[in-house]
Amino acid sequence: MSLIEIRNLEFTYKGGTQPALKGIDLDINPGEFIVIMGHSGAGKSTLCLTLNGLVPNLKKGAFKGEVKIKGTPTAGHKVSHFARTVVLVFQDFETQLFSTSVELEVAFGPENFNVPPEEIKERVREALQKVRLTGFENRQPANLSGGQKQRLAIASVLSIQPEIICMDEPTTDLDPVGKYEVFSIASALRQEKRMTMIIVEHEVEEALEADRIILMKEGTILAQGTPREILSQSDLLANCAVKPLDMAELFGRLGFKELPLTVEEGLEAWRRAGLTFNQERYRSMVAAQQSAREGKYGQPIIEVKGLRHSYENNFEALKGIDLTIREGEFVAILGQNGSGKTTLVKHFNGLLRPTAGEVVVAGMDTRAESIDKFGRVVGYVFQNPDHQIFAGTVKEEVAYGPKLYGVPPAEIEERVRDALQAVELAGLEEEDPFSLTKGQRQRVAVASILAAKPRVIILDEPTTGLDYKEQRGMMELVRRLNDMGHTIIMVTHSMWVTAEYAHRVVVVKDGRVVMDGPTREVFAREDELEAAFLKPPQIVRFSNRLGATCLSVEEVMACLESREGGAE
Amino acid sequence: MKELWTMWKNTRMITMTALTAAIFAALLIPFKGIPIIPGITEFRPAQIIATTFPIFFGPAGAWGVAIGNLIGDFFGTLGPGSFFGFFGNLFEGYVIYKIWQALKKEPTIKSGGDLFHYVLAVILSGATCAMIIAWGLEVLGMFPFAVLGTIITLNNVIVPIFLGPPLILLLYPRIKKWDLIWTDVMDPEDISTVKSPTLGLALMWIGGLGGLIVGLLLSTGLYGAKLAGFGVGHTGTGVILGLIPFIVIFLASALAFPSKGE
Amino acid sequence: MNLYLYLDKDTIVHRLDPRAKILILICTFAIPLLNDHPLWVAGATLLILIYGMLARSLGNIARIKTILVLIFIFSSLMWFVFAKGTTPLFWRVTRESVMYGLATGLKIDAMIIAGLIFLSTTKNEEITQGLIKLGLPFAVAFVFSTALRLVPTFVGAGATVSQAMRSRGLDIDSGSFLERIKKYVPLLVPIFLSSIRNTDSLAMALESKGFGNSPRRTFYLQLKWQPFDTLFLVFFVVLTILNAWAKINGFTSISGLIK
Repeated sequence: MSLIEIRNLEFTYKGGTQPALKGIDLDINPGEFIVIMGHSGAGKSTLCLTLNGLVPNLKKGAFKGEVKIKGTPTAGHKVSHFARTVVLVFQDFETQLFSTSVELEVAFGPENFNVPPEEIKERVREALQKVRLTGFENRQPANLSGGQKQRLAIASVLSIQPEIICMDEPTTDLDPVGKYEVFSIASALRQEKRMTMIIVEHEVEEALEADRIILMKEGTILAQGTPREILSQSDLLANCAVKPLDMAELFGRLGFKELPLTVEEGLEAWRRAGLTFNQERYRSMVAAQQSAREGKYGQPIIEVKGLRHSYENNFEALKGIDLTIREGEFVAILGQNGSGKTTLVKHFNGLLRPTAGEVVVAGMDTRAESIDKFGRVVGYVFQNPDHQIFAGTVKEEVAYGPKLYGVPPAEIEERVRDALQAVELAGLEEEDPFSLTKGQRQRVAVASILAAKPRVIILDEPTTGLDYKEQRGMMELVRRLNDMGHTIIMVTHSMWVTAEYAHRVVVVKDGRVVMDGPTREVFAREDELEAAFLKPPQIVRFSNRLGATCLSVEEVMACLESREGGAE
Repeated sequence: MKELWTMWKNTRMITMTALTAAIFAALLIPFKGIPIIPGITEFRPAQIIATTFPIFFGPAGAWGVAIGNLIGDFFGTLGPGSFFGFFGNLFEGYVIYKIWQALKKEPTIKSGGDLFHYVLAVILSGATCAMIIAWGLEVLGMFPFAVLGTIITLNNVIVPIFLGPPLILLLYPRIKKWDLIWTDVMDPEDISTVKSPTLGLALMWIGGLGGLIVGLLLSTGLYGAKLAGFGVGHTGTGVILGLIPFIVIFLASALAFPSKGE
Repeated sequence: MNLYLYLDKDTIVHRLDPRAKILILICTFAIPLLNDHPLWVAGATLLILIYGMLARSLGNIARIKTILVLIFIFSSLMWFVFAKGTTPLFWRVTRESVMYGLATGLKIDAMIIAGLIFLSTTKNEEITQGLIKLGLPFAVAFVFSTALRLVPTFVGAGATVSQAMRSRGLDIDSGSFLERIKKYVPLLVPIFLSSIRNTDSLAMALESKGFGNSPRRTFYLQLKWQPFDTLFLVFFVVLTILNAWAKINGFTSISGLIK
C-alpha cells in the first residue's frame, strides 16, 4: 500500500485567482526517494504542504480531491495527527528553529507527543548523531552556521521518528559546504533506515541519486520517471525552468540518442564517438575574448591596499587584502560563508571602514569621506530584496534613492523610467512590490540601485532562490549593465553563473585572497578550488579533462573538430 | 476581554504573539543605553509597535508587547518595575485594538476621521499604560507618579502619532493580503462582541486618561492633598488610593464589551 | 553575537533549581523595597552583593555600570526634591529627603543587580521551565522562550536593513526631530514585513512537529529540587519576613520623612 495517496487534487489559496495545484495524482511508496523539480510558482511547496495536511487545515483555500495518509484523509484532521507519519523541513531555517538550545529544539517534537523524558533523551542523542551535531547540545541555535541550522532542523523532525521526511528546498540558502553537509545526511538516512524521502531541489546534479523525479509546471505534474528518463530530456527540463545537465545538453546537441549524465559518462561517450577538441580554435577564441575585454577596461576604480578588518569581538575577518578593480570589469567574489567576502565588499561603499590599510573608491579614501558620498558611486544590491523594499508601489521604491540625493523631480521621473526599463519591469510602476514574485522583487531592488546611477554595482547573491529561467534573466540583465559600462562586483555561490558571466574571479578564504585571475584561468585549477570547497560546473570539469577550460556548452561546441558522422 | 484568553489555543495567534514580542524587544534593546529615567524608562521609538501591531494582531499584539517589554528588561533593567511594565504595555495594546473593534473599523487609516481616531486611541492607550506603570512604581515607593506618568505618556504618544500613520498605511495592505488580520485568524465565537461601544469607550476614557490626570494632580500636590484624608502633602498615599477607583472603572469597561452569552 | 547576560559557570547559585532562583529573585526585590532608611538599604544591597559573589556574576555589573551610576544619581536627585521632610537644608530639599533619595537610588540599583544575578545564573530554557513548573501555561511559556530566541535574529535583520538603507543614501542622523522620525519608516517596514511573513512559516513548522497535538505533553528538561534549594530559599524567605516585621514596627523608616 502506498503511504500517501493523492487523487485528483486541486487547491486554490484564499484570495488566489488561479489554482496553485490542479489535477494532481500521486502515490508515494515506502522507502522511495523522490525529487520534485519545477519553476518558481509551479506548486512544489504547496504540494509539500498538502503531504501532512497543512494545506488545507492551516493554509486555507478551496480544496478539491483527496489526500490520504495511510488511508486517512487529511482534510478535517489536525496537522499534528499526521506528524508521526510525515514531517516537513522548510527552506528558511531561521523560522523553523524556535528553541533556546540545540537539545531542546530536538526534544520539542517528542515532548508534544508525550514521550517520556528518558526516551526523549535517547532520541535526542540519536538524532544529533545522525546529523553530526553531537557535542552541540547546549549551544544556542542562533549562533550556528546556516548548514548547522538546517541540519538541526532535520534532527528536530527525526526525533519524532517519522516514516516520511519531506524537505522543501533545504539547501537553497546554504553555501556549498552547507549544501554538501545536508545532502550527505540525506543519503545516509536513506541508506541506514530506508526512510521515505521527498526533496524539492533546484540543482540537477543532486537529483541523480533519486528513485523518481517529479517535474512540475503551473500546478500540474508534467512528467515523472527515473533520473535517466527525466534528466536526458533537456528540452523538457528547460520548459520547466530547470537547468539541464551540461553533459546531457552537450551530447543532445551533438545528436546523441543515449545521453551521458555525468562527466565520466561524458568522457566515455566522447572517446567512443572519436570526437576531438580543436586546441587551435580554442586558443584563438580565448585570445579574441581576452583582448576585447581588456580594451574595454578603464582606470582603477577600487583600490584596496593591505586591508584588515576586525569586528568588535576582536574577530579578524580580513587579514591583509590587496586588490585593484578597474572600471568596466565584471568580478565574481567566491568563498564560503564566513570567509570574509561580504566583509570585503562592504568596504567598497563605506559601510565598513578598514581597521588597517586603505580602500580608495573613485579616488576617495573611505576613511575620510562619509558614506552618502559612496552611495552615488557604488550601488549595493543586498541578498534579500525584502530587506530593502518598503514603499507601497514599485515606482516610489525606485524613486527613493534619487529623492534622498536631491535629484530634481523631472529627472527622477526619467531615471525611474530608465531603471525600470533596464530591469524589464516597465508597466508595473503602480504595483505593490510585495505582490511581485521573488525574481521581480530582486529586479525592483536592482532598479532602485540603478536609479542612483552608480558607476559600480555590487550584487550579493543575485540568483539565490530564483529558478533557472529567472537566474538567466537576472544575469542577462547584469551582463547588459556591464556592457553599458557599469563595473560589476558579484558575491555568489553559483558556479555556473560565475563561469558563464564573470570575467574575473577572486576567491576569498579565511580573510585572504587565495586566487585571483580571469575566470578561465581560475577554473582550470580544480584542486585549489576544491580546497576552498568550490566545484566548477560539469562542463568546465569535462573540458578540463580534455586539456582546455571551456566555460559553457557553447564554447565546447565552438571548439569541436568538424566531425563526420560523429553521432552514434 | 475573552479573546485575550481564547487566542492561546490558536497556533497562528501564538506565533504572532512571539514575533511581536521579539520585534518589540529587539527595537527596545539598542536604546537601553540612552535612558530617560535610568533603570525605568528610556527613549522608546519601539513604542510604535504597541500602537500599530495590536491594530492588526489584536490580543496577540497586546500580549506580544507585554512579553516583549519583559524580555527587553532582560537586557539590563529587570526589576519590580518589570511587573507593572508588563501590564502597562498589555493594556496599551488592549486599548488600541478595543477602540478599533468598538468603532468597527478596518485596521487602517484612510481618512481624516481615521487619523483623528488613531490619535485619540494613541493618547488613551498611552495614558492608560503610563497610569498603570507610574501607579505601580509609586506603590513601591520607587518613583513619584508625576515624573514617571508624564514621561511615559510622552514616550507612548509622540513617536507613535507621527510615525504610526505612514507605517499603518504601508503595513495594512500586505498583512491583509497575507490573511493575518486577527479577526480573520480567530474564530468569531472566540472574540468578545461589542454591545455598547459608547459606554465601553466612555469607561475606558474615564479610567485611563482620567486616572492619569487625577494622578498627576494628586502627585504634584496641586489638587486634593486632603482628598484621601491623609496628612499634609502626603501625596504618595493619595496617589496610590486615589487611583484605585479609576483602575476599577477602566477594567469595568470590559463589561461593556461582553462575550457572547454573557 | 551574544546579547544575553547568562554566564556559563559552575557555582552553587548556578546549580540552584530555577524555581528556587525565581522565588529568591522575588525576595531580593522585596527586601530592598521594605526599607526606607539608607543604612537598612545598604544592608540589603550588601546581602544581594554577597549572593552575587557566590554566583560569581558581579563581573556582569560592569556591562551596565553607566546605567547603575545614572540610576543612582537621577533617582537620588529626584527624591531630594519630591520627598518632604522636617529638617530643611535649602530650597525644597530636607535632610530626610536627602536620606530617602540616596536610599531609593541605592535600592533601585540593588534590585537591578538582583535581576542581573538571576539572568547571569539562569539559562533561558531554565527560566521557561521554572515558570511552567510554577504554573505558567505552556503556550505563554512557549511564546516567551521563542521570543527570547528570535531577538538576536531580529537585531541582526535590523542591522542588515539599516545597512541596505544607508547604502541607498538614508542618513538617519540629520534633520529635525520630526524628519528623523519619518526616516524610520523605510527602516522599520522591511523588518516588520519580513518578520510578519515569518509568522506563517513558524506556525507551519510548529504544527508539523505536533504542537497542540494533545493538552498533555512531557518535558525533556527535568528539574530536581534538592535540599540546598530549600536551604537557600528558606534563608531568603525568613530574611524577607524578618525585614517585613522590622518595617511594620517602623525600624526601617526615616523619622520625619513625609513622602
